[in-house]
Amino acid sequence: MESTDRVQKLLELTRRELVSRGLAISGWSTFAAVLGTGGLETVRFFYPRVVYQPPSTFRIGPADGFAPNGDDSDAFGVLLVDDRWKSQSRFVVVRERNRIYALSARCAHLGCTVNWFNDLRIFKCPCHGSEYHSNGVNFAGPAPRPLDRLRITVNLDGQLVVDTSVTYGPDRFDIDGAFVSV
Amino acid sequence: MDSTEVASAPEAAKAPPAGSRAGAPERSASSAAATVFPDLVYKEFLAALLVSILLLVWALAINAPLLPEANPGKTENPAKAPWYFVGLQELLVYFDPWIAGVGIPTLIIVGLMAIPYIDTSHNATGRYTLGERRLAIGHFLFGFALWWVLIVIGEFLRGPNWQIYWPWQSWLVPKSAEEKLWSFPWWLGLPLLAAYFGIGLWLPRRRWPWLYERLGKSRYASAILFTLLLYSVPIKIFLRLLLRVKYVLVTPWFNI
Amino acid sequence: MMSQNQRLRQAITTSQLYRSIFRHDYVDSLRNRALEVTSNIFLHLHPVTIPRHALSVRFTFCLGGLTFFLFLVETITGLLLMFYYRPVPDYAYIDMKTLEYAAQFGVVLRNLHRWGAHLMVVTVMLHMLRVFLTGSYRPPREFNWVVGVSLLVMTLLLSFTGYLLPWDQLAFWAVTVGTNMAAATPFIGAEGPFHEVLGAQPLNDVRFLLLGDMKVGSNALLRFYVLHCVGLPLFAIVAMMVHFWRVRKDGGISRPL
Ligand code: HEM
Ligand code: FES
Repeated sequence: MESTDRVQKLLELTRRELVSRGLAISGWSTFAAVLGTGGLETVRFFYPRVVYQPPSTFRIGPADGFAPNGDDSDAFGVLLVDDRWKSQSRFVVVRERNRIYALSARCAHLGCTVNWFNDLRIFKCPCHGSEYHSNGVNFAGPAPRPLDRLRITVNLDGQLVVDTSVTYGPDRFDIDGAFVSV
Repeated sequence: MDSTEVASAPEAAKAPPAGSRAGAPERSASSAAATVFPDLVYKEFLAALLVSILLLVWALAINAPLLPEANPGKTENPAKAPWYFVGLQELLVYFDPWIAGVGIPTLIIVGLMAIPYIDTSHNATGRYTLGERRLAIGHFLFGFALWWVLIVIGEFLRGPNWQIYWPWQSWLVPKSAEEKLWSFPWWLGLPLLAAYFGIGLWLPRRRWPWLYERLGKSRYASAILFTLLLYSVPIKIFLRLLLRVKYVLVTPWFNI
Repeated sequence: MMSQNQRLRQAITTSQLYRSIFRHDYVDSLRNRALEVTSNIFLHLHPVTIPRHALSVRFTFCLGGLTFFLFLVETITGLLLMFYYRPVPDYAYIDMKTLEYAAQFGVVLRNLHRWGAHLMVVTVMLHMLRVFLTGSYRPPREFNWVVGVSLLVMTLLLSFTGYLLPWDQLAFWAVTVGTNMAAATPFIGAEGPFHEVLGAQPLNDVRFLLLGDMKVGSNALLRFYVLHCVGLPLFAIVAMMVHFWRVRKDGGISRPL
């Protein structure tokens, strides 16, 4: 109904009107296209092709270097939390009875570096007060999920190697690479 | 001499403001005019001079802070945002980052920009009054004060690990871990949210019919929505502080 | 008989050089008061006359004007600081640290810039408060209020981008947290709700756009530097031009009915 009206109106246009309308449409579309590509190019420009990253793998010594003093684990099955690498490389190493894994010290909330409090057996974040158990699972504060785990493997020399560029979320904590069995 | 220059002078004084709408209730300026030079210019000059003195004394007396060099491995404890954003940082305790860091700032900006399109009356324009614009001024001052209260909390009451430390408590004494938080189940959260906004939209119309009458449908709805959103912030803060509520509504996609 | 002084004065004020700069003399007359404003590009922001009530300091508390003045202070002190600052992580902090020795009054200059910025945030917020309390945002001034809000945002962004430049712990963590919030934006942030809809990932989301990297590093420092010293001030200047022009076009500052 409406569309036939519109067609009717188009048919009634004089040639002059038709041409000037066509010119206007193509002119404005060219304008929009130029502006659009310019805009897209500008946005794309802000995504550099190459970013230089510092090396992301760290050798942290053989697995038996993470032997706990006693044999008591805490309520979360953790025997030992080792934060020697925290200030240099932003991860901590956690030893459970049968596995070793590396926790990213990057708070799952907004990325501050969490601190380990051995007497309380929790991680606390200085920025907005998120708190995590010794196994990295969040229990208080604004953090939405546990601390990420990092890829950890044993190399040919029997050394543990942590790769901070590969992270595992809670649904992948039990897959190969997220921990080393001992 | 140059006559156009002279002609333009009184014209500028008398001409009705070019942008003003028909019926914009401005009195003609002729009643009591003052020349800008020197009557206004010297006041501006004095104000600038006073502020310069203040700033210079301040800059000579107190050095701007400069902490140790940036170190990605060690976060300052506590790590505070610049004071004007500490209010937002404090909000991060109570809301997920996309609400505290993106949603609320956007709503504040849009809400502020919307004010003149919602309140278009001319009652008591151009002078200070509290009594004659109680609603508008009350809500605005509440929001303004909330911003500053959050800044004061974040700046003066938050200590290591962003825990509350009263001014007389030492930062060296560690605080115990926080209790576990819990969230409303959806069958509680969803109706509560719906009721808050539903009743919030309906009740003022019931109680103050003139408000709806004066503002019309869309102005009324936006005014009430922005106001409800404003008050929802302290409500959530109290839920968190008093009842340890983490989320009011939990969905698979986002939490509020 | 003219005194020595008067003659000297006359010689100066009638010289071609003087006349080329100042087009009128300074004898106090209504005409000269008007010319003072209209023939001076800096003063002609103002109208020639204003209603007497607009002179009242207790109406505006000069807050808008002072915000502008502080913007000028920031521009000048900032320009001077640029002579001793390199926006590279290896140098930025050292440059800040050695400013004290690098230049006489270097620290005072830095203090002026920092405290001036704080003061500007305070005055701009109080200016907004006074405009609200006096109902001066109402028609016909609603658009100028909108321009004002964008100036408020610009002021805060200028402060925030400047905060990173000293490259100290305060700077680094404030900006880390601030930009991680950007990553939480719905749809276009890699950690925000609905990020999978458009496929936002750490390598292509808004945070990457801001930082030029996945974390705060040299690209971020350079970006914030350029925004702080050039990009945002340009925007702010344009917005201020519109703001001041509109104050006049909307009929001068508001007044009671
Ligand atoms: C960089 C920031 C700003 C500067 C330099 C600035 C400057 C000024 C100046 C010089 C005036 C003249 C009257 C006075 O001094 O009060 C003015 C008026 C005004 N400003 Fe601003 N302003 C800024 C930000 C804002 C903000 C944040 C708002 C509101 C959200 C705003 C809204 C207005 C309005 C509506 C007027 C007209 C007031 C009236 O008619 O009484 N401005 N501004
Ligand atoms: S960054 Fe750790 S709680 Fe916010």
